[in-house]
Amino acid sequence: MNKFTNLLAKEIRELITKQLIFSLVFTFVLFYFIGQIAKSEARRAAAPQKIAALDLDGSDVSRNLLQSLATKSYKRAAVYLIEPAPGKTREAAVEALRKSSTNFLLVIPAGFGESVARFEAKPVETFTFMKSFSIAASRNSAVFTAVLSYLNSIMSDEYLKQKIAGIAPENLKNPIKSKDFVIIKDRMEEGSASDITGFVFSQSFFIPIILMMIIIYSAQMVISAIAMEKQNKTLETLLTVPIRRTSIVTAKMLAAGLVGLLSAAIYMLGFRFYMGGLMGNMAARSDMSQIIRKLGLTMDAKAYIILGVSLFFAILCALAMATILGVLAEDFRSAQSLVMPMVFLVLIPYLISFIADFRTLSLPIKIIVLAIPFSHPFLAVQNIMLGNYQSVLLGILYMLVVFVILVVAAARIFSTDKVLTMKLRWGRKKVVL
Amino acid sequence: MENVLDVNGLKKFYGSLEALKGIDFQVGKGEVFALIGPNGAGKTTALRIVATLLSPSDGKVTFLNHDLKKNPDKFRENISYLPEEAGAYRNLKGTDYLKFMARFYSGSEDKEKEFLERAQAIAGLGERLKEKVGTYSKGMVRKLLLARALMTRPALAILDEPTSGLDVINSLEVREIIKRFAREGISVLLSSHNMLEIEFLSDRVALIDQGRILDQGTSRELKDKYQAPNLEIVFRSALQ
Repeated sequence: MNKFTNLLAKEIRELITKQLIFSLVFTFVLFYFIGQIAKSEARRAAAPQKIAALDLDGSDVSRNLLQSLATKSYKRAAVYLIEPAPGKTREAAVEALRKSSTNFLLVIPAGFGESVARFEAKPVETFTFMKSFSIAASRNSAVFTAVLSYLNSIMSDEYLKQKIAGIAPENLKNPIKSKDFVIIKDRMEEGSASDITGFVFSQSFFIPIILMMIIIYSAQMVISAIAMEKQNKTLETLLTVPIRRTSIVTAKMLAAGLVGLLSAAIYMLGFRFYMGGLMGNMAARSDMSQIIRKLGLTMDAKAYIILGVSLFFAILCALAMATILGVLAEDFRSAQSLVMPMVFLVLIPYLISFIADFRTLSLPIKIIVLAIPFSHPFLAVQNIMLGNYQSVLLGILYMLVVFVILVVAAARIFSTDKVLTMKLRWGRKKVVL
Repeated sequence: MENVLDVNGLKKFYGSLEALKGIDFQVGKGEVFALIGPNGAGKTTALRIVATLLSPSDGKVTFLNHDLKKNPDKFRENISYLPEEAGAYRNLKGTDYLKFMARFYSGSEDKEKEFLERAQAIAGLGERLKEKVGTYSKGMVRKLLLARALMTRPALAILDEPTSGLDVINSLEVREIIKRFAREGISVLLSSHNMLEIEFLSDRVALIDQGRILDQGTSRELKDKYQAPNLEIVFRSALQ
């Protein structure tokens, strides 16, 4: 085993502690568990909604309405299961349903059919039994909105058929139709812009999260590794062994990068289970997948390689920056504080990638964002999808320059007294001993 | 006696603070040379410079005819340094720590084995070497570190307060080990507050205060010169 491999192996062994393994396994299991719960909740929410109906009118109109509601289907699956409400009165039905698994009660009042015949509004009554406030339960709030919209549509179609014979009611209600097209660069496909945006977001929104986690993890690892050397009083001995200082810096950065990548990969795997549970049905829309593919919005192997290179250079910048910050730390505790500036530097592009369009930002903010080396892999995701490879390559070039500057600075610090004398004390100016 | 280490006009500044004001001393082959002085006198700074941790602001340090500024790597290949407040990697077992350190000097498996056997004999920790360093007492860690420093039989061992934090029995053992290695030809540069320890271990002593060497010689020479019964009185007289 040569000196560098010896050092690298030690660094990795120092980083992979029982605490780290426990934390990774625990988080993975937790994400997986929550994901499974979310998946079963989503499945339950997608199942036909049971609606208890109390028809106090008993007219043909009310019976037909309930009949059409019961036969409404989407992709050959029933949307609503209409069941007779228990009890003969509204109060009795409400009381009986309180303890049942049915969450919805629709009451059609007496005289509803006659009112309809006179074109007078006679309100139906809807009751939603709120038994929890989870995300899955929040879907309950939309059930009666959809039911009433559907019933109104049926009723109005019926009226129009009676009053204006020979014209399709749909053409009267929505006389203007549209065919929607989306254009991306030189490609054009039929589809709704909002649907495509939603689909692309659902498929790619986790990429910035992966980027953020990998960068922060790697930085934290290297800062902690250097701080632990100081806290355990091992750094002085290490600096006097016959190995080049640049090798010490490189071994620390490489080990932290590898363990950071591994940790982030395990976290992300767990996170995918979690998000897969929440958004499982989005990926199943094959019609949308085809449009996305035709518009060139998918990430092929080449795109992933370019994104990987961009991420690789961002990690290198983070490691070099963290190495310099690690020298300033006195112990493990102060190292945790020193990670914060880097977290902010990663959070800025992370949040901007979610909430803003980079092109529409003001010039000073654009300059600030571009100056942060970690911004470039975040921007690369959209740029690659939109085919702006030149911007991605310029970003990689910029990160390379920043990395070279930082690594030269880090190596210089490790080659001089500064590695032992540089300290950052909160509340005071930098003190050199 | 052939000198392994020559320090001439060594100065060190920390910002505007002059920690060493041009000190001179030499260490011969197989000689134990000690720096004694109060806290802040500059002992550790001098040791750290020779150990290549700090760079000198001025002056010349040569080791086996290699200049410190020009060739620090040659220093590192032939010295070993035991800092006053040193630790070992808590997650490694004692043997793994020794192996890790031995590999920087060994170059072959046979040599590595030889270093390890020597280290195990010096440390005297027996089966405890198979346990993690995090479970060791302060005395055990110090012995492990001393074993690490001496296992390669360096041309110069730099020991800063080698018995720091040790009880009487452990201190005696450590002193015996240092003495034995010096007899076998290893040069030692050490610092200590403990005058008895210095008297027992050192061939020659330098009295250092506020970055200057006040006087140097063998314990006998210094005691005769200052007509003092021990080094503590010598030091007080030299200060006056």
